[in-house]
Amino acid sequence: MSAATTARPMSVRTLTGGSRLRAGALIVLNVVGLMAFLWPFALPAFTGGNENHHADGPVILLVLLVCLGTLLFVELGRGGMGPKAVALLGVLGATMVALRLPGFVAGFSAMFIIVLVAGNAFGPSFGFLLGAVGTFASGLFIGGLGPWLPFQMVAVGWVGMGAGLLPRTGSWRVRIWALAAYGVAAGYLFGALMNLWSWPFLTTGSAVSWSPDATAAENLRHYLTFYAATSFVWDTFRAVGNGVLVLVLGRPLLGSLDRAARRMRLEVGGDMNVTPAPSATREGAVDVEDPAPVLGAPRGVPVGR
Amino acid sequence: MTEALRVDAVSFRYPDAARPALVDVTLEIEEGTFALAVGPTGAGKSTFLRVANGLVPHFTGGSFTGRVLAAGRDTLAYPPRALADAVAFVPQDPGASFVLDRVEEELAYGMENLGVDPAHMRRRVEEMLDLLDIEPLRGRSVRSISGGERQRVAIAAALAAGPRILVLDEPTSQLDPQGAEHVFAALQRLVHDQGMTVILAEHRLERVAGQVDLALGFDEGRVTAGDPAAVIRRLAMGPPVARLGRLVGWDPVPLTVRDARRLAGALPARLHPVTPAPGDTRVELRRLSARHGDAGALRDVDLIVGEGEIVAVMGRNGAGKTTLLRSIAGVHAPASGTVQVGGHAPRPGIDAALCPQEPESVLFAETVAGEVAVTLKARGIDGVRPEAVLMELGIADLAAHHPRDLSAGQRLLVATAAIAAGQAPVLLLDEPTRGLDPEAKERLARFLRSHAADGGTVLFATHDVELAATVATRVVMLAGGEVIADGDPASVLGDSHVFAPQMTRAFGPGWLTPEQVAEALA
Amino acid sequence: MHPGAWILWATCAGMVTFTTTNPFYLALIVAVAFFVYAAQRVPGPTARSFRVFAIAGLITLVVRTSLVFLGTVDAGNVAFAALEGARLATLLIVFGTFNAVTDPFGVVRLAPRRFHEPALAAALALSIAPRTVAMVGRVREAQTLRGIPTSWRTLPSLAVPVLETGMEEAVTLAESMDARGHGRGRRTRYRPAHWTPAAVVVSVASVVAAGVFVVAAWTQRGDLHPSTSPLAWPQVQPALLAAIGLLALPAFAPRPREEP
Repeated sequence: MSAATTARPMSVRTLTGGSRLRAGALIVLNVVGLMAFLWPFALPAFTGGNENHHADGPVILLVLLVCLGTLLFVELGRGGMGPKAVALLGVLGATMVALRLPGFVAGFSAMFIIVLVAGNAFGPSFGFLLGAVGTFASGLFIGGLGPWLPFQMVAVGWVGMGAGLLPRTGSWRVRIWALAAYGVAAGYLFGALMNLWSWPFLTTGSAVSWSPDATAAENLRHYLTFYAATSFVWDTFRAVGNGVLVLVLGRPLLGSLDRAARRMRLEVGGDMNVTPAPSATREGAVDVEDPAPVLGAPRGVPVGR
Repeated sequence: MTEALRVDAVSFRYPDAARPALVDVTLEIEEGTFALAVGPTGAGKSTFLRVANGLVPHFTGGSFTGRVLAAGRDTLAYPPRALADAVAFVPQDPGASFVLDRVEEELAYGMENLGVDPAHMRRRVEEMLDLLDIEPLRGRSVRSISGGERQRVAIAAALAAGPRILVLDEPTSQLDPQGAEHVFAALQRLVHDQGMTVILAEHRLERVAGQVDLALGFDEGRVTAGDPAAVIRRLAMGPPVARLGRLVGWDPVPLTVRDARRLAGALPARLHPVTPAPGDTRVELRRLSARHGDAGALRDVDLIVGEGEIVAVMGRNGAGKTTLLRSIAGVHAPASGTVQVGGHAPRPGIDAALCPQEPESVLFAETVAGEVAVTLKARGIDGVRPEAVLMELGIADLAAHHPRDLSAGQRLLVATAAIAAGQAPVLLLDEPTRGLDPEAKERLARFLRSHAADGGTVLFATHDVELAATVATRVVMLAGGEVIADGDPASVLGDSHVFAPQMTRAFGPGWLTPEQVAEALA
Repeated sequence: MHPGAWILWATCAGMVTFTTTNPFYLALIVAVAFFVYAAQRVPGPTARSFRVFAIAGLITLVVRTSLVFLGTVDAGNVAFAALEGARLATLLIVFGTFNAVTDPFGVVRLAPRRFHEPALAAALALSIAPRTVAMVGRVREAQTLRGIPTSWRTLPSLAVPVLETGMEEAVTLAESMDARGHGRGRRTRYRPAHWTPAAVVVSVASVVAAGVFVVAAWTQRGDLHPSTSPLAWPQVQPALLAAIGLLALPAFAPRPREEP
């Protein structure tokens, strides 16, 4: 009888976990997803320019949804997350749901802080999952499932993923300021992206409209005007709110999450296959490998100020 | 008979732990046994329970020696999910372990994981509903049911997949007496009518000690398995009848009220001791009515509490205990009537400090001392060191620990310290003994007594009859928002069936603690 | 009715809406959506959704129309903007109905096997959220009683206990799930939602309706986009009106009996 019957080999700690092929596929899909958001600029380059814009509308939307759907499908539709990851997603997702509404001023939503710190603490893969799942649950909770949901899920997922890509080594100060700066940038980017997919539909026929015949630069100019007029103030609230929350809450929250990861023997940044592998040592003791160094010296250790 | 659980020379150390949690444990538990794990906090009971279903070492990591056979399966070869149909595990806080929303679906979850076909699942769900007596709850949301019901739903959910071994971690620590009764009755049925093997860890031994076949005494990772009376006799903090047995020198110690009576014979009714007159009035409630949601939580309550009193507020869940405490603290506005603390309307936190039902909800500092320091600073109190406050609760040695690394009992003491540091004369505690081990309870009792002796006032809401019997100078009973009894513990507790301490049950009103009885028998 | 049927209905109704800016068609769709909502709404927090979405739709209409002022203002442009706004508003109202008639847990339970774990996480988030909200209130009160007021600076005293307790509960939850066989292998479903005849009929009708409109859009018939410059009175085609009528069928489906 071998103890290894229960063991799953420890995953390679790569960006997204798993084989190179999977990593490559995910990168491609993420780029495609990004294209789906940026289609007003990208599309004219691909189509010849159809006179009747209106007929394009539903088709374009369908294509976008398919792209995003595939991205979500691959990222989310995987087995082997394990009870620890699911439980964490559930609890953190619940916090996102609880925080979506309170303190709602313009675009600010406290739920972003959860995605930011959890993404930073548990890695890009988890960050994306949490962003997507939390947004979905949040939509369900407030009874607000709308056509924007796939876009929002992916966009919030990207916020979480980015937070996981930030440097996690070094002093607390560096870590927190980097996360705060990212939070501000993410606030604006998120708003810009979410605005972008709806812009052409909202503004056809007006002076800041999108046009498949115009050049990318012209479209960009139009969009920026549109953005300044509508979304900018909204997004500033969000961006500033994110930054402030990270500065105020980042360190204590990250401390809690780091401890939780340690307690749960979680491998951070991996493929979410968190079953530790038992292996026999010389004395006959079975050492269930700690998938460390999860939070050992390389990161999270506060260097003296 | 075959063995349900066989443990061979098992030693286990958690990762990053200084000392091993289990040391060379060898024992066998036969099928159909009702086994009880006892011992102080940190001695290894919880770890042992998790060894039985493989959570140790698969879930926790760590260094593991030895072999465990659960229902014939080697737990090293079978991770917890592979043992799900052999061993059922119910954690201490079942509310946190529910996965789905409706009771019926929760019961089916385990079977879904095991790939049981739907027709069979339907039958098993019905059986479980009947077995645990929870059929009326089937369509309810798990959030809407009481603590005792939740515990039974958790047991049903764990058993639905068909295991013959049931492992429970302190199932009644969070429950009121009625809830605890129902759970123990269910466990009895499972053992006697169904032939299941049940292993549970408990601190509150009054009800269960007399019902079990086997006791496992834990002490710093080592286990002594044997006859319940023998094992419990060795405990420093057993149930009152056992403590009485130790004091008087009986061997074997009684484990039930009936055994105690047989050994002691009848005792004359005890003269009620003269309770010292309370000091100046500190808390005064006149015709206080308050609402909670749509219901009237308090109705025309009159209550006067003086300095130096320790008042136990008792009653069923929903009787209004929490609302009463919160009204005195000044955070629950009265619908009519008045609340006065120190002669005026209570200033929250300044006149009366409240320790909430979940003490964890106040802990956020990095160290225990830091936690106390936060309150000192917030209240602007100079010249008092946090360690001094900690010493009053007997936890000065924990000053540098992270509050979240501590046991439930230690956390309560830390929270109490953090709140008492505000130097409010009136100290209010809402169900402080939830999940509390006897050592921490003892420390708390000592602190409450000294606080009252220094001129403070204490009111605590509790289900814990033994604590009320030991430390309270006065007992107030609430039912439906009204005060139905108010007086010294001997009379009030002696008069009640549900809320009578073991000594009272054994020997009649007036007898509250084993020490009193031992003295009389000497 | 099977949640999948509702999703299909909402998607098709959404597509139909998206293909046209003809105010008469749009008005009829709104009427149909309201009709279905009134007949099939599920009591509970999601029932409010319809009103919320309707208000959101109204706001969108106003905003979209006022965007005209960024450019030249004439009757044609205003009408164009108003029609665009009306289309978006109608879309929102369709989703309002969808939210009001579906049970959130039902949607989650629908997830195919591959998505079981993320769907479970979403369901968990839904169940745990009310507890979290209550906990925040309790922590706030307890800290205030200690003398720590709620403000920007003292946010950690609010956030840390909630998160820490949440993490501890996550451990208990994960243990429990592990002990109950999570991730063991092929799963079965306790009460799989069945495709009733009503659900099938509704699904087919929805697809037909959507198909009719897509064809009309492709062949540019039916005055889907009435001209606004010059301003002309919109025309309607009976066939398309009938297609929208098909979308009203869900209102006649038998209401789900209370799940035991």
